[in-house]
Amino acid sequence: MAVPEFLQTAELLKQGAEARVYRAEFLGKPAIVKERFPKRYRHPTLDEKLTHRRTTQEVRSILRCRRAGICAPVVYFVDYTSHCIFLEEIIGSSTVRDHIASAQQSDSGTEQKLQQLAERVGQILARMHDEDVIHGDLTTSNMLLRHSQKDGEPELVLIDFGLSYISALPEDKGVDLYVLEKAFLSTHPNTEALFEKLLKSYAASSKKSSAVIKKLDEVRLRGRKRSMVG
Amino acid sequence: MNLTQDLELFPGHRVTQMLFKEVKNAAELRQSAVEGKISGALINPTMLVDPLQVLVAANKAVHLQTIGKMKTRSLYSEIIFNLSPTNNISEAFKRFGISDGDESVMVVVVHKKDEVQLLSDVTARVDGRQVPAEDVSSLSDSAKIKKLYKVAPQEDKCGTLLDAVICRMATKDVM
Repeated sequence: MAVPEFLQTAELLKQGAEARVYRAEFLGKPAIVKERFPKRYRHPTLDEKLTHRRTTQEVRSILRCRRAGICAPVVYFVDYTSHCIFLEEIIGSSTVRDHIASAQQSDSGTEQKLQQLAERVGQILARMHDEDVIHGDLTTSNMLLRHSQKDGEPELVLIDFGLSYISALPEDKGVDLYVLEKAFLSTHPNTEALFEKLLKSYAASSKKSSAVIKKLDEVRLRGRKRSMVG
Repeated sequence: MNLTQDLELFPGHRVTQMLFKEVKNAAELRQSAVEGKISGALINPTMLVDPLQVLVAANKAVHLQTIGKMKTRSLYSEIIFNLSPTNNISEAFKRFGISDGDESVMVVVVHKKDEVQLLSDVTARVDGRQVPAEDVSSLSDSAKIKKLYKVAPQEDKCGTLLDAVICRMATKDVM
């Protein structure tokens, strides 16, 4: 088994409940490796099946987004035996989370910049939902701003499609936005107006947005989980 | 001229790429490759965007060989197959392998560090002029590549043609 030995020499960046993320050189390029490790608390057969499905879903969603012109990391290699995905490292990037936080610190003249950013996020999410990709874990930490050398405008790159799936249901898209709203407003205090801007731009860019926004209002009242009573 | 890269996942294994122009014996080379007499993959360079594309295919081939899950009969045919966006083996050979009249050839060899003899064995067989492997980009036929990999115009927004091609190669088994 080559990959587990390789990961022992790689730099561990983060460990979550689902996977470990490493930084390493792959084929001479800076790369990020996402390893879904076995969960001992699950039945081995079920664990294997779930892990395999999430790995394939993740690469499928990334490709689907890229095909639609939405920036997401390039997939270099997938190992379905050790459940590792080798991805392009997004060089020279910062998270939208850090960007908003630092913009809020420096109070002068950043308001308009933030509004533009919120509008761009709304547009990109609209495009993603129009492709029927549900991200599943939208937070401002899972959006990167890549500062390219060419022009001043940084590119928005979506990452971590680990919980993503394909669905055309307004319900699923509504929940996707609801998850973002919760995460957004709790990580960034006093940004209700900013998030409102994001939703407005989402509604204006997506062809199917009215059903989604209607569902979002419903989800807000009941929470993320559907009530199974009655 | 040769471009060599270690496969980080398989310590000891490395991939060397050698590009030839003005090749006069393509038919003979192809025949020897079919008979398995050449220890190398012979690739049509007009279908290559960048040497990284070959590395991705070679790494995947060595991986599949290690776990015993190759789709084709040899490591070198597997490299050619991995370049293709489809799961059709003969189609892959037709598009990415060399044809009898070709004038340029990319030769790819997977070898151990001390197996330099393998490389000179292959170069001796090619009747052509070797150029730096990095020059492959100047030979690539982007229009044909875009069509074969079905790269849409809007994908320009999120990266290069190389990015689009590599993504498809890496994920073709689950599409």
